[in-house]
Amino acid sequence: MLELYHWEPNIYYLKPLIALKEVRAPFTSRYFDPTSFEQYSPSFPQNTESGLHLEREGPVLVDGVTVLSSSFFILEYIAEAFPAANLLPGDAYEHYRARAWGQFAALQLSPGVCALGCAKYLAPTLKSRDPGQLKARIERIEPQERRAAWAAVIDGSYSEQALAAVRDRLAAPVKRFEDALGQTAWLAGPAYSVADIDAFAMLSPLPDVAPEVVSEKATPRILQFLHRMRERPAVRQALALAKTARPQEAFVPGAEPSRWG
Amino acid sequence: MLTLYHWEPNANSGKPMLALAEKGVEYQSHYLDLLNFDQHKPEYLKINPDGTIPALVHDGKILTESTPMMEYIDETFDGPPLRPTDPKERWRMRWWMRFFDSYFAPSLSMIGWSVFVGPAVRNRDRAELEAAIERIPLESRRIAWRKAMFNQFSEAELAESRRRGAFGTAALEQHLTAHPWIAGNTFSLADINGFNLGYALPLSQPDRCNDEKTPHIMEWLRKIYERPATKATWAKGRTQMASRVTLLQRKS
Repeated sequence: MLELYHWEPNIYYLKPLIALKEVRAPFTSRYFDPTSFEQYSPSFPQNTESGLHLEREGPVLVDGVTVLSSSFFILEYIAEAFPAANLLPGDAYEHYRARAWGQFAALQLSPGVCALGCAKYLAPTLKSRDPGQLKARIERIEPQERRAAWAAVIDGSYSEQALAAVRDRLAAPVKRFEDALGQTAWLAGPAYSVADIDAFAMLSPLPDVAPEVVSEKATPRILQFLHRMRERPAVRQALALAKTARPQEAFVPGAEPSRWG
Repeated sequence: MLTLYHWEPNANSGKPMLALAEKGVEYQSHYLDLLNFDQHKPEYLKINPDGTIPALVHDGKILTESTPMMEYIDETFDGPPLRPTDPKERWRMRWWMRFFDSYFAPSLSMIGWSVFVGPAVRNRDRAELEAAIERIPLESRRIAWRKAMFNQFSEAELAESRRRGAFGTAALEQHLTAHPWIAGNTFSLADINGFNLGYALPLSQPDRCNDEKTPHIMEWLRKIYERPATKATWAKGRTQMASRVTLLQRKS
């Protein structure tokens, strides 16, 4: 039996939930709260990759003794383990396109989405915690990139100027999604694929956290895409797994932006 | 019809070159000189408007992301499979390729750009360099080139890149202590990817990557170097950058 360690159905956590519902795979839900740092407890499944993975707090899928991390590659794993659902449809070129979109979203979209979401929702939540305890807990996090990302949320690194720059940098990648959705019905081509699940999870917070960039007026095709996705039974089922009233406010520090500027 | 636009057998360009060689696939090679900014010229921007290398054109289809491009090559052409059949090994292959592409390689290449790419172009006419930057389509690449050309990498970011280079080297050594190949028991695209980023590690980080400190990395690099496809691919190099690979020759 597959076990999925996840939080609320939002950002990285939403992706494998949708895919598992699409393929109708039975799985055991292991719900955890990353803001309580449960993912660092000794009982949480771990391996080299889950410690180093670049999405940091994201979901992990446990299949037997194997601990799988990195959300797009979990999607591909589910697609390949359950081929009947055809989540990687078409020919080799469509597969290439799906993978290229997964990479593009991970590098160009996710860091900004997580930064904006953390600034708006996670930072205020953490302010209500005991600052001394929180600081002490964060100081024990390894590796240092992961520790620094949490420290950035509590130390007020999110100035208005920095957030405006994050929104500015999202404009070009968002335009690529908007343009692509004008050319084919789904991102990888004529058929629905893991690329759509992946993009949906990261695009859907944007009308809230970056309304200047994603809106009915600025990006009508993305809005239609989000609407089409929310009509899918698997997406509805995944979203219904929320345990709080506002799952769309569940953010964790995600992948870092490129260090090249 | 298969055409690969590439630079030296190194980093991203070397990934599809080595994958195609391992598959035994013939292709039309179109060499672009990165240091001459061939990748920003109008004729190439028609192929890849982002102006990044490599690009693969197969029967009219254009592919510009080197890691997914390697999966396409493996899926499309006959020849020995370069992806494991076990889904868990496939996942591990992809996980490590992302770690290489997004964590390890950018840190090593920042150092490479500061000590090699920058100095190689820096003595040219300033106005010519500024004009060259203006022709770069992606802002992120404009920033990278500006830093390399005018030596604007800060000491702090270079120090962080060196730290990450050391951290990545240690993580790779630990991984290869447990597995003969990156994905597990099978030679795969992840080894091709890792070799392209790491073949010169014993030269660029001699105090960290050597027979004493990282015996598993050294053995892994030498095993890949000894493959006929690797020899044939690096023989296509035109600069001293590619000839560094001979440091992996075993001493008899």
